[in-house]
Amino acid sequence: MNDKRLEEKLNRRLRRAFAMAVSASVEDRLIRLSGELESWEDIVRACSMCVVKRAGFHVVNDISLRGAKPQKMSVPNHRDTELEGRRADVLIIGGGISGCTIARALMRWQLDVVLIDKEADLAVQASGRNDGEVHPGVDLGRGSLKQKYVVRGNRMFDQLCEELDVPFERCGQYACFGEWRALPLVWLYALQRRFVCGIDDTRIVFGRRLRKKEPKLNADFKFALYNPQAGCVCPYGLTIACGENAAANGAQISLNTAALEMELAQPAGGGRQSITGVRTNRGMIRPRLVINAAGVFADDVAQMAGDRFYSIHPRRGTNSILDKKAGPLMRSIASVKSVKKNTAHTKGGGILHTVHDNLLVGPDAVETREKENFATEKASIDAVFAKQRVTMPVLSEKDIITYFTGVRPATFEEDFIIEKGRRTENLIHCAGIQSPGLTTAPAVAEDVAALAVAMLKEQEPKKPPVKNTCFDPRRRGIPRLAAMSEAERDALIRENPDYGIIVCRCEEVSKGEILDALRAPVRVPTVDGVKKRVRPGMGRCQGGFCLPLVARIISEETGVPLEEVKKAGERAVISLGRTKGAKNEGI
Amino acid sequence: MKEYDVIVIGGGPAGLAAAISAHKNGARTLLIEREERLGGILKQCIHDGFGIIRFGERLTGPEYAKRFVREFHALKIDSLIQTFVTDIRKDEGGFTVTTVSSRGLGKYRCRALVLATGCRERTPRQVSIHGTRPAGVFTAGTAQHFVNLLGQMPTKKCVILGSGDIGLIMARRLTLEGAEVVGVYEARPEPSGLMRNIMQCLEDYDIPLHLSHTVTRVFGRDRLEGVEVAAVDENMQPLAGTEERIDCDALILSVGLIPENEVAEKLGVTIDPRTRGPLCDENLMTDVAGVFSCGNSLHVSDLVDYVTESGELAGHAAAAYSRGEERGEESKDVRKEGHKAAAQQPELKAAADEHDLYFRTDKKKMICITCPNSCLLTVAEEGGNIIVSGNRCPRGRDFAIAELTHPMRTISSTVRTTYKAVPVLPVRVSQPIPKEKIFAVMAEINKVLVDHPVRAGEILIPHVLGLDADVIAASEILKDTDPEGEWEHEQ
Repeated sequence: MNDKRLEEKLNRRLRRAFAMAVSASVEDRLIRLSGELESWEDIVRACSMCVVKRAGFHVVNDISLRGAKPQKMSVPNHRDTELEGRRADVLIIGGGISGCTIARALMRWQLDVVLIDKEADLAVQASGRNDGEVHPGVDLGRGSLKQKYVVRGNRMFDQLCEELDVPFERCGQYACFGEWRALPLVWLYALQRRFVCGIDDTRIVFGRRLRKKEPKLNADFKFALYNPQAGCVCPYGLTIACGENAAANGAQISLNTAALEMELAQPAGGGRQSITGVRTNRGMIRPRLVINAAGVFADDVAQMAGDRFYSIHPRRGTNSILDKKAGPLMRSIASVKSVKKNTAHTKGGGILHTVHDNLLVGPDAVETREKENFATEKASIDAVFAKQRVTMPVLSEKDIITYFTGVRPATFEEDFIIEKGRRTENLIHCAGIQSPGLTTAPAVAEDVAALAVAMLKEQEPKKPPVKNTCFDPRRRGIPRLAAMSEAERDALIRENPDYGIIVCRCEEVSKGEILDALRAPVRVPTVDGVKKRVRPGMGRCQGGFCLPLVARIISEETGVPLEEVKKAGERAVISLGRTKGAKNEGI
Repeated sequence: MKEYDVIVIGGGPAGLAAAISAHKNGARTLLIEREERLGGILKQCIHDGFGIIRFGERLTGPEYAKRFVREFHALKIDSLIQTFVTDIRKDEGGFTVTTVSSRGLGKYRCRALVLATGCRERTPRQVSIHGTRPAGVFTAGTAQHFVNLLGQMPTKKCVILGSGDIGLIMARRLTLEGAEVVGVYEARPEPSGLMRNIMQCLEDYDIPLHLSHTVTRVFGRDRLEGVEVAAVDENMQPLAGTEERIDCDALILSVGLIPENEVAEKLGVTIDPRTRGPLCDENLMTDVAGVFSCGNSLHVSDLVDYVTESGELAGHAAAAYSRGEERGEESKDVRKEGHKAAAQQPELKAAADEHDLYFRTDKKKMICITCPNSCLLTVAEEGGNIIVSGNRCPRGRDFAIAELTHPMRTISSTVRTTYKAVPVLPVRVSQPIPKEKIFAVMAEINKVLVDHPVRAGEILIPHVLGLDADVIAASEILKDTDPEGEWEHEQ
């Protein structure tokens, strides 16, 4: 089908649904939709109905929402010239799991790498707001990049987490079925996994054995598809560890740094344009190559680079964390399944025993126009619990200690985009990285790094990148004293008495661990930064007791007055000043 | 490994009382405290009203704590501060307590254990607060820590959710420091705090109390920018169409306290789901022999005086237990359903003697401070009239009416110091001042800067504004070099 005929076909389809409100144009593997619609749901529906399964074809959404202003990316107010004129071999935009694993992979070469993120920490958006499942790779479209990378990525986790000193559990995953009639289909699927996908450990576990493994599962489950290779990891912990390891190997990580604009050059004799500068709030960076790992903003970055050939439609997901007291209810990952087609674009969420021994319940999937809408909604939690109580009837909302919402950077094709720029020469897109993006990240990073090296070599064939023989893949994490043997813990405290001063009672975190976090290779002296690294405030009191103590330690360690210590970003002050200063009025 | 008869975990008012009582009853006693100073949460409760029942005086939190800390040290009872209990094992004949401190790990043996671990505050997530997650959402106790211990303002304009006592106290405290409290929102149809606090903390300052209203949403990305409030139905579910957005910079929650019983649970103690404290017998022994519970970890008390009393009882009984004294066998369950009151000591083993039963009720009470009788007054307002009951003499009625209408008030605050470790020092007026002078006196208090060691009770401003009252220190700074040694100097 040529472009013209495809265009006509899509426009017929659109007219049936939306009359003349929207239209599609097809050119150069790009399906561009324009017009105006009343609701965001309609826009997503229009774009989704124009998705075609042809290699490299992508839907670009230019439909405007009636009466709505365009969404703007929140950027730091801070301005300086720290990075003005900074030259680099590679600039990575985005400090999520993609950006950080790529940075680390690139450090295996002697390259000057700069990674920027607009947030005050790594892993603030999607990478810090997901369930941490290391997927076994079920339920993925054949021929998709997701499928290409998921098994390879999954198998890399043991070594990756061992090198980075990050907790990882291959806890296994049960997809549970309550109806015998699902068995033939699941059986066929298991056979397909074994003989087509080459995953030979997937098996079907029946009633009694299932309950022996997970006694609290719904007694009505007849059988489950069991994937022993499924695992869980702390997603922000892993991202930060990758970032720290990259930094320790020489990468520059610049937080609170947003890409605002790009300077493009058109070659005189025609051919593809290239990026000559990336303007940030901290100055103009001049990289040889840009890697777009900007998550939900990947299409905005693509636009800056004059290379927007896909669109992100953000999709929210909310997870709840349960008290550690509920931790023993489930040792693995489990969820109720049925053979009905899953149209919700999530593997349906589930119950997961985290590496920190909490239970995590969720996520759901809700389309949203706002890329940074992290607000939680009660309805989401209610819906997830209603579903997962089928998985495990003893599940109780009373055990919830916190909940959070993340936004998935989905493309309309629901697949990753990992390729060179189409119109822009020195650009690599690593976009649309939604679930199972955490699992695939290390595998994707290898390929992106290899592609980057090849492109740099092409740019300067006489000076190809050389291997970095000094690369140290190992990172020493911050010691977790509460998890140590008594002898080991005692010895460490005698070396450093701060390890014996408990600041967070719920998670048993010492002052020494907090100071270690503040002195790590990527320094994030905020309450949330410390919390993500060593967990004060992650427990059942949610920082009620330790917030003032942690803020005070940050103040003392960094020399910043207490009233300037932040929870997270630059405007997130905790105290608004000292007492005694304010004016009082009479009664 | 050092051996004790009784180990008390927690150095707040309950733990101090338990340790003193156990010691006086002949037990070799050790008290273990997590923080660097004894006194527990009282250290930050600089308002007055503590000790009315016990001492017939209206003390501030630090002053109340001080009395027990002083006695504790005078008795030379062993204590470990800044020491965290990481593990307790029950075995033949007692318990092994493992601690962690800057000196390393420690192990201590005892026959009886008193848990005086206090309580924690319910969090925003536990009352299903949704929306964004900016800085500026605090529990009242956390806000109190910032204001009273660190001298920091967590807000300049806030909404308070929940009418628990700490929330009410903080409404006044923040107002005195110049913040605007837009209102207190309570989802239930009646306030949960003590009436005296509704009166002294809200009405005095014209802070509106919105009953049957709740906060439904938080706005703001980095720092809180506003909240949404809504009326609720009888099931406390928000009513659609009643939502209203209030611009403010903080949301402060006072939505309940939860006894901290993680240590007890690890020991296998049965927790009463109603009080969330251990089920205990009349000696406050839990269903794990040798484990006693007291104070707010037993059940949340309105008054510290009761916390002390339960500590004394538990300490006394633990000492007796450690000596292997016989206990009654007969058991009688006096759990009562129906009332919102939950009996704390339902197992009456020794049926013969009289016993005090401690309850948690939903009645509004007031303690008459006119004489040490400390009558428990029940005050109700009907058709604009104040109806007083529970007073044993007419003075009680006068007191109650005066309390509700009287213009005299005692105020507590802090003054700045030059000591980095103690940035602010609690102070109070030595006697009540006219209500209309409160802010004028606050302005005087705010001018004080303490740059020298100060004893508790020392006059910082004599005859403030020409009144009879002095502004006096309610706590102390004793050393130039190590002001944090405050509580330990008598050791």
